Amino acid sequence: MSQTQQQQTEAKQKQQGLSELAKREERTARWLLLPTFAVILLIAIYPLGQVFVSSFTNARFAAPDHQTQFIGFQNYSNLLSMTIRELPVETDDEGNPVIEDGEVQYENSFRVLPSDPRRYRGVYEFSLFGNRYVLGATNQNFVRSIWDTVSLTVIAVFLETVLGMAIALTLSVKFLGRGVMRAAMLVPWAVITVVSARIWEWMLEPTRAGFFNAFFDQIGIASGNISFFTNPALQIPSMIAMEVWKTTPFMALLLLAGLATIPKELYEAAEVDGATPIRRFFSITLPLVAPTLAVALIFRTLDSLRIFDAFQVVLGEQRYSMASFAQSMLINNSDVGLSSAASVIIFIIVFSFAILYMRALGVDTE
Amino acid sequence: MSKETRQRIASFFFWLLIIFIFVYLMFPFYWATISALKPEQELIRTPTTYFPQNLTLQNFRAVFQNGQFLRGLLNSTIVATVATALSLMVGSFAGYALGKMRFRGKSPSLYVILAMTMFPQVAILAGLFTVMRFLDLPTLASLILSYLIFTLPFTVWVLTSFFRGLPISLLHSAQVDGANMMQTFWHVLLPLTAPALVTTGLLAFIQAWNEYLFALTFTVTEPVNQTVPVTIAQFTGEIARQEPFGEIMAAAVVVTIPLVILVLVFQNRIVEGLTAGAVKG
Repeated sequence: MSQTQQQQTEAKQKQQGLSELAKREERTARWLLLPTFAVILLIAIYPLGQVFVSSFTNARFAAPDHQTQFIGFQNYSNLLSMTIRELPVETDDEGNPVIEDGEVQYENSFRVLPSDPRRYRGVYEFSLFGNRYVLGATNQNFVRSIWDTVSLTVIAVFLETVLGMAIALTLSVKFLGRGVMRAAMLVPWAVITVVSARIWEWMLEPTRAGFFNAFFDQIGIASGNISFFTNPALQIPSMIAMEVWKTTPFMALLLLAGLATIPKELYEAAEVDGATPIRRFFSITLPLVAPTLAVALIFRTLDSLRIFDAFQVVLGEQRYSMASFAQSMLINNSDVGLSSAASVIIFIIVFSFAILYMRALGVDTE
Repeated sequence: MSKETRQRIASFFFWLLIIFIFVYLMFPFYWATISALKPEQELIRTPTTYFPQNLTLQNFRAVFQNGQFLRGLLNSTIVATVATALSLMVGSFAGYALGKMRFRGKSPSLYVILAMTMFPQVAILAGLFTVMRFLDLPTLASLILSYLIFTLPFTVWVLTSFFRGLPISLLHSAQVDGANMMQTFWHVLLPLTAPALVTTGLLAFIQAWNEYLFALTFTVTEPVNQTVPVTIAQFTGEIARQEPFGEIMAAAVVVTIPLVILVLVFQNRIVEGLTAGAVKG
């Protein structure tokens, strides 16, 4: 055997040994990952598939005589059918428009919206180019829940970001008692959401036994009987107030950690160059904290879109978030099919937001 | 205006801001606490009193005599503890594999787990409900298993980055000493991950302790298995006729205090864990 041949055999043996080791490593890794993926398969992937399949059926539970059948897109069309109709001006017997308090009165949307084959109900009325229109839907609760949840998310996340940034900037200054403040910030984050909802429910009582009504009455706003949870115009703002209080600290903590990574020298240099504090914020702080902000925004938006606890506890069946609608259809109506279709729509909405964000903010997932 | 006066004014406004932030964060707890300490007549008085005039422990006594509430506390403790322990165990295996080993299909696995951390739980509610009815486990076990959907991916994610940060030389020297992959894991790496385990464990525990959607849905026909959030959401009073807000606030204070203590003791770790994924330092 020549020397080169011997070297080749040795190299081959070595390689085989290595790949044997690599194979063993791969096998160990597979075993280590197995439980995690088994769990994910059992409680996430399979149920998701199940939800997808039942969304095309009229499945119900706790109904022994019920025959489950495939009904195609019926659940989806029930949830999402919408129409826009013009509302005619209400006229009296002589054909003149009815005017009350100086405002033209319109026909009741109930009369204008189609009722065949299914009843459409008014979700939202609006004026455009001097005409009055109504948006009708076959399932006005679900359509409204989408609108409410998305608008709540947009407003709440915006407020949280502004407030969170203000708090983070304040706390990034060194002062006596900064540790106490940081600890205080963790408290609203840690408290059970249901508990915070009940505390706010009590503070927002519709009589002056509640803090806000007593306080507003004292400073001369309203007369101490604002019904924050039964007046439809105040329901969503009340939910936003709760949500913002509960989640601003999380935002502030993330931003504070992001601010801590900005080198101090940058600010010193900018100050020497005579940059104003506002200029420094927009030219140094904001661009450098942007990656952290992007992650925080994604977390918070996706979280807020699936809001459930506060809605269910405080508003119950009065007004739904997307999640509380799906849960109520499942539990209170035993309507597995409709609830599943609602879940699939929620899933699509949440993931569209996620993708939109990733694109817009150019986040890399590594 | 001299420079000194300007600085004084600036400092005055700064402290005003600090106080304002502090009051904003803490006021709801103040309100819950004083409401819990007020007797029934003072609680429903209009206008309300900003400082309690008569203090009583009546509401707290009622809460601790409320069997449903105590049961809820016990259930919550069991569910949150077991869910945390399970996800730490299963999660540290996965974190070790993903953080320190080479194998095909590693990045797809990471992506799946990352996607799971953003999973909207309501999307699988009906399906999970069916799975749990099929498995026919005791309700508390179903809750524990369901909670892994949010505790596990998060644990794996944080532990993976922690394992990745451990020096590879540790692995090599253990191998030179003749330890196999699992021995290295148990005797070398796991002791080193203790701080990360505490952090992720705390966060997972708090998440499980707070969970409401699954808890409400799965216990709808069996009040015995309700966890604390469900009990508090559906609180019926012993004393008051209407919504017993005095007792609800007492219950709120009782369940919040342990959490606050936990958070204050471990605040550095929690902040670390919360910001781990978001900030690249």
